[in-house]
Amino acid sequence: MGKNVLLVDDSSTMRKIIGRSLRQAGIDFDNIFEAGDGLEALAVLEKEKVDIVLSDINMPNMDGISFLREKAGRANMKNIPVLMISTETGDDIIGEAKSLGAVGAIKKPFTPDKVNEVLGPLL
Amino acid sequence: MTEIEKQLDLAQEIISATQEVFSSMLMIDVTGEDISASGRSVIQSNMTSMIGLGGGVRGMLAVHCPAEVAKAITGGFLGMEVEELDEDVKDAIGEIANMVAGNLKIAYANGGVNVELAIPTSVIGKSFRLSGIGGAIRHYVSFQLESGPFWVELMYVLS
Repeated sequence: MGKNVLLVDDSSTMRKIIGRSLRQAGIDFDNIFEAGDGLEALAVLEKEKVDIVLSDINMPNMDGISFLREKAGRANMKNIPVLMISTETGDDIIGEAKSLGAVGAIKKPFTPDKVNEVLGPLL
Repeated sequence: MTEIEKQLDLAQEIISATQEVFSSMLMIDVTGEDISASGRSVIQSNMTSMIGLGGGVRGMLAVHCPAEVAKAITGGFLGMEVEELDEDVKDAIGEIANMVAGNLKIAYANGGVNVELAIPTSVIGKSFRLSGIGGAIRHYVSFQLESGPFWVELMYVLS
Protein backbone atom coordinates (compact mmCIF):
# COMPACT_ATOMS: atom_id res chain seq x y z
CA MET A 1 0.00 0.00 0.00
CA GLY A 2 1.34 3.48 -0.87
CA LYS A 3 1.86 6.33 1.53
CA ASN A 4 -0.21 9.42 2.20
CA VAL A 5 1.02 12.88 3.23
CA LEU A 6 -0.77 15.84 4.80
CA LEU A 7 0.45 19.36 3.92
CA VAL A 8 -0.46 22.00 6.51
CA ASP A 9 0.10 25.64 5.52
CA ASP A 10 -2.18 28.67 5.47
CA SER A 11 -0.81 29.54 2.03
CA SER A 12 -2.44 27.51 -0.75
CA THR A 13 0.43 28.60 -2.99
CA MET A 14 2.96 27.13 -0.57
CA ARG A 15 1.00 23.87 -0.37
CA LYS A 16 1.16 23.65 -4.18
CA ILE A 17 4.89 24.42 -4.16
CA ILE A 18 5.55 21.73 -1.56
CA GLY A 19 3.49 19.22 -3.54
CA ARG A 20 5.45 20.07 -6.69
CA SER A 21 8.75 19.82 -4.81
CA LEU A 22 7.81 16.33 -3.62
CA ARG A 23 7.21 15.26 -7.21
CA GLN A 24 10.43 16.94 -8.42
CA ALA A 25 12.31 15.16 -5.63
CA GLY A 26 10.94 11.85 -6.89
CA ILE A 27 8.89 11.25 -3.74
CA ASP A 28 5.56 9.72 -4.71
CA PHE A 29 2.56 9.68 -2.40
CA ASP A 30 -0.72 7.95 -3.18
CA ASN A 31 -2.65 10.84 -1.66
CA ILE A 32 -1.67 14.41 -0.81
CA PHE A 33 -4.14 15.85 1.71
CA GLU A 34 -4.13 19.59 2.49
CA ALA A 35 -5.08 21.71 5.50
CA GLY A 36 -4.95 25.47 6.02
CA ASP A 37 -4.21 25.44 9.75
CA GLY A 38 -3.80 23.13 12.73
CA LEU A 39 -7.52 22.75 13.31
CA GLU A 40 -8.11 21.59 9.76
CA ALA A 41 -5.10 19.27 10.04
CA LEU A 42 -6.53 17.57 13.13
CA ALA A 43 -9.82 17.04 11.29
CA VAL A 44 -7.99 15.39 8.37
CA LEU A 45 -6.02 13.15 10.74
CA GLU A 46 -9.26 12.07 12.44
CA LYS A 47 -10.68 10.62 9.24
CA GLU A 48 -7.80 9.82 6.85
CA LYS A 49 -4.85 7.45 6.99
CA VAL A 50 -1.80 9.74 6.93
CA ASP A 51 1.79 8.50 7.08
CA ILE A 52 3.58 11.82 7.56
CA VAL A 53 2.63 15.48 8.07
CA LEU A 54 4.57 18.46 6.67
CA SER A 55 3.51 21.53 8.67
CA ASP A 56 4.13 25.25 8.77
CA ILE A 57 4.46 26.97 12.17
CA ASN A 58 2.99 30.47 11.73
CA MET A 59 -0.68 29.95 10.86
CA PRO A 60 -3.98 31.55 11.94
CA ASN A 61 -6.55 29.78 14.14
CA MET A 62 -4.16 27.06 15.33
CA ASP A 63 -0.42 27.39 14.70
CA GLY A 64 2.02 24.55 14.16
CA ILE A 65 3.17 24.38 17.78
CA SER A 66 -0.40 24.20 19.11
CA PHE A 67 -1.18 21.58 16.47
CA LEU A 68 1.73 19.43 17.69
CA ARG A 69 0.59 19.83 21.30
CA GLU A 70 -3.01 18.87 20.50
CA LYS A 71 -1.96 15.97 18.27
CA ALA A 72 0.33 14.58 20.99
CA GLY A 73 -2.70 14.25 23.27
CA ARG A 74 -4.74 12.17 20.83
CA ALA A 75 -3.90 8.44 20.93
CA ASN A 76 -5.07 7.79 17.37
CA MET A 77 -2.61 10.23 15.81
CA LYS A 78 0.18 10.92 18.30
CA ASN A 79 2.63 8.59 16.52
CA ILE A 80 2.25 10.11 13.05
CA PRO A 81 5.55 11.92 12.33
CA VAL A 82 5.49 15.67 11.66
CA LEU A 83 8.18 17.54 9.73
CA MET A 84 8.09 21.32 10.13
CA ILE A 85 8.48 23.49 6.98
CA SER A 86 8.72 27.10 8.06
CA THR A 87 10.52 30.41 7.93
CA GLU A 88 10.83 29.94 11.70
CA THR A 89 14.04 28.00 12.22
CA GLY A 90 15.37 29.45 15.48
CA ASP A 91 16.71 26.93 17.98
CA ASP A 92 14.04 27.88 20.52
CA ILE A 93 10.98 27.29 18.37
CA ILE A 94 12.37 24.22 16.59
CA GLY A 95 13.45 22.87 19.98
CA GLU A 96 9.90 23.35 21.24
CA ALA A 97 8.51 21.66 18.13
CA LYS A 98 10.84 18.68 18.60
CA SER A 99 9.92 18.43 22.28
CA LEU A 100 6.32 18.06 21.10
CA GLY A 101 7.17 15.30 18.64
CA ALA A 102 8.37 17.00 15.43
CA VAL A 103 10.96 14.84 13.69
CA GLY A 104 12.83 17.64 11.93
CA ALA A 105 12.56 20.95 10.11
CA ILE A 106 13.08 22.42 6.65
CA LYS A 107 13.64 26.16 6.27
CA LYS A 108 11.67 28.15 3.70
CA PRO A 109 12.73 28.83 1.02
CA PHE A 110 13.77 25.30 0.08
CA THR A 111 14.76 23.30 -2.99
CA PRO A 112 13.41 19.88 -4.03
CA ASP A 113 16.84 18.47 -3.20
CA LYS A 114 16.54 19.75 0.37
CA VAL A 115 13.09 18.21 0.71
CA ASN A 116 14.45 14.89 -0.52
CA GLU A 117 17.46 15.07 1.81
CA VAL A 118 15.35 15.59 4.93
CA LEU A 119 12.13 13.75 4.07
CA GLY A 120 13.60 10.77 2.21
CA PRO A 121 15.08 9.03 5.28
CA LEU A 122 11.79 9.41 7.16
CA LEU A 123 9.78 7.36 4.63
CA MET B 1 22.76 55.43 13.22
CA THR B 2 21.56 52.73 15.61
CA GLU B 3 23.78 49.88 16.81
CA ILE B 4 21.84 47.38 14.73
CA GLU B 5 22.38 49.52 11.61
CA LYS B 6 26.10 49.61 12.36
CA GLN B 7 26.26 45.84 12.82
CA LEU B 8 24.05 44.74 9.94
CA ASP B 9 23.79 45.74 6.29
CA LEU B 10 20.02 45.27 6.20
CA ALA B 11 19.68 46.29 2.53
CA GLN B 12 22.19 43.58 1.62
CA GLU B 13 20.31 41.12 3.86
CA ILE B 14 17.12 41.93 1.91
CA ILE B 15 18.94 41.40 -1.38
CA SER B 16 20.42 38.05 -0.27
CA ALA B 17 17.13 36.82 1.18
CA THR B 18 15.13 37.77 -1.93
CA GLN B 19 17.70 36.20 -4.22
CA GLU B 20 17.52 32.97 -2.20
CA VAL B 21 13.71 32.89 -2.48
CA PHE B 22 13.77 33.34 -6.26
CA SER B 23 16.68 30.98 -6.93
CA SER B 24 15.36 28.20 -4.65
CA MET B 25 11.69 28.30 -5.53
CA LEU B 26 11.50 29.79 -9.02
CA MET B 27 14.95 28.92 -10.40
CA ILE B 28 15.35 32.60 -11.34
CA ASP B 29 18.35 34.80 -10.63
CA VAL B 30 17.41 38.35 -9.66
CA THR B 31 19.65 41.33 -9.03
CA GLY B 32 18.89 43.84 -6.32
CA GLU B 33 19.88 47.46 -5.84
CA ASP B 34 19.71 49.49 -2.64
CA ILE B 35 17.64 52.56 -3.56
CA SER B 36 17.09 53.82 -0.02
CA ALA B 37 18.36 57.24 -1.07
CA SER B 38 15.61 57.73 -3.69
CA GLY B 39 13.15 55.73 -1.60
CA ARG B 40 9.41 55.52 -1.86
CA SER B 41 9.06 57.90 -4.83
CA VAL B 42 10.11 55.34 -7.44
CA ILE B 43 7.78 52.56 -6.28
CA GLN B 44 4.78 51.84 -8.51
CA SER B 45 2.67 49.15 -6.91
CA ASN B 46 -0.68 47.57 -7.70
CA MET B 47 -0.09 44.77 -5.23
CA THR B 48 1.61 45.07 -1.86
CA SER B 49 2.06 42.31 0.70
CA MET B 50 3.12 43.33 4.19
CA ILE B 51 4.27 41.40 7.20
CA GLY B 52 4.36 43.00 10.61
CA LEU B 53 7.49 42.86 12.75
CA GLY B 54 7.27 42.77 16.53
CA GLY B 55 9.36 41.85 19.54
CA GLY B 56 12.65 43.76 19.59
CA VAL B 57 11.51 45.97 16.71
CA ARG B 58 8.22 47.49 15.58
CA GLY B 59 7.67 47.82 11.87
CA MET B 60 6.92 45.96 8.69
CA LEU B 61 8.45 44.42 5.62
CA ALA B 62 6.56 44.98 2.37
CA VAL B 63 6.87 43.58 -1.16
CA HIS B 64 5.52 46.01 -3.79
CA CYS B 65 4.70 44.77 -7.32
CA PRO B 66 3.14 46.21 -10.47
CA ALA B 67 0.25 43.99 -11.59
CA GLU B 68 2.12 42.27 -14.44
CA VAL B 69 5.06 41.39 -12.20
CA ALA B 70 2.82 40.06 -9.43
CA LYS B 71 0.99 37.87 -11.95
CA ALA B 72 4.26 36.63 -13.50
CA ILE B 73 5.73 35.70 -10.09
CA THR B 74 2.53 33.89 -9.11
CA GLY B 75 2.45 32.08 -12.44
CA GLY B 76 6.00 30.92 -11.83
CA PHE B 77 5.07 29.58 -8.40
CA LEU B 78 1.96 27.79 -9.63
CA GLY B 79 3.26 26.65 -13.01
CA MET B 80 0.36 28.25 -14.86
CA GLU B 81 -0.63 31.53 -16.50
CA VAL B 82 -2.28 33.99 -14.10
CA GLU B 83 -4.62 36.56 -15.63
CA GLU B 84 -6.03 38.46 -12.64
CA LEU B 85 -4.84 39.93 -9.36
CA ASP B 86 -6.74 37.32 -7.37
CA GLU B 87 -6.39 35.40 -4.12
CA ASP B 88 -3.58 33.27 -5.56
CA VAL B 89 -1.56 36.41 -6.31
CA LYS B 90 -2.11 37.86 -2.83
CA ASP B 91 -1.13 34.52 -1.35
CA ALA B 92 2.01 34.11 -3.48
CA ILE B 93 3.38 37.62 -2.91
CA GLY B 94 2.53 37.24 0.79
CA GLU B 95 4.66 34.12 0.90
CA ILE B 96 7.59 36.01 -0.62
CA ALA B 97 7.22 38.65 2.09
CA ASN B 98 7.05 35.89 4.68
CA MET B 99 10.22 34.15 3.48
CA VAL B 100 12.23 37.36 3.12
CA ALA B 101 11.10 38.45 6.59
CA GLY B 102 12.08 35.03 7.94
CA ASN B 103 15.62 35.54 6.69
CA LEU B 104 15.68 39.06 8.13
CA LYS B 105 14.59 37.63 11.47
CA ILE B 106 17.73 35.47 11.43
CA ALA B 107 19.86 38.53 10.53
CA TYR B 108 18.35 40.55 13.38
CA ALA B 109 18.98 37.62 15.75
CA ASN B 110 22.62 37.67 14.70
CA GLY B 111 22.63 41.32 15.76
CA GLY B 112 21.15 40.42 19.13
CA VAL B 113 17.58 41.53 18.37
CA ASN B 114 14.70 39.04 18.67
CA VAL B 115 12.01 39.67 16.06
CA GLU B 116 8.53 38.14 15.89
CA LEU B 117 6.69 37.84 12.56
CA ALA B 118 2.98 38.37 11.96
CA ILE B 119 0.83 36.74 9.27
CA PRO B 120 1.11 38.47 5.84
CA THR B 121 -1.53 40.99 4.74
CA SER B 122 -2.01 41.99 1.09
CA VAL B 123 -3.45 45.09 -0.58
CA ILE B 124 -4.51 45.43 -4.22
CA GLY B 125 -5.21 48.84 -5.76
CA LYS B 126 -4.20 51.53 -8.21
CA SER B 127 -3.16 54.35 -5.96
CA PHE B 128 -2.35 53.75 -2.34
CA ARG B 129 0.35 54.76 0.08
CA LEU B 130 1.62 53.03 3.20
CA SER B 131 2.02 55.28 6.20
CA GLY B 132 4.76 54.38 8.58
CA ILE B 133 5.88 54.87 12.11
CA GLY B 134 7.31 58.29 12.83
CA GLY B 135 11.08 58.26 13.01
CA ALA B 136 11.32 54.80 11.48
CA ILE B 137 14.47 53.59 9.75
CA ARG B 138 13.61 52.72 6.14
CA HIS B 139 15.34 50.60 3.55
CA TYR B 140 14.19 50.27 -0.06
CA VAL B 141 15.59 47.68 -2.47
CA SER B 142 14.70 47.42 -6.17
CA PHE B 143 14.71 44.11 -8.06
CA GLN B 144 14.40 43.47 -11.76
CA LEU B 145 12.62 40.57 -13.45
CA GLU B 146 11.93 39.98 -17.14
CA SER B 147 8.33 41.08 -16.53
CA GLY B 148 9.41 44.29 -14.78
CA PRO B 149 10.63 45.66 -11.46
CA PHE B 150 9.46 44.99 -7.94
CA TRP B 151 10.53 46.45 -4.61
CA VAL B 152 11.09 45.33 -1.04
CA GLU B 153 10.68 47.91 1.74
CA LEU B 154 11.75 47.52 5.36
CA MET B 155 10.59 50.05 7.94
CA TYR B 156 11.27 49.68 11.64
CA VAL B 157 12.02 51.27 14.98
CA LEU B 158 13.72 49.50 17.84
CA SER B 159 11.33 48.69 20.67
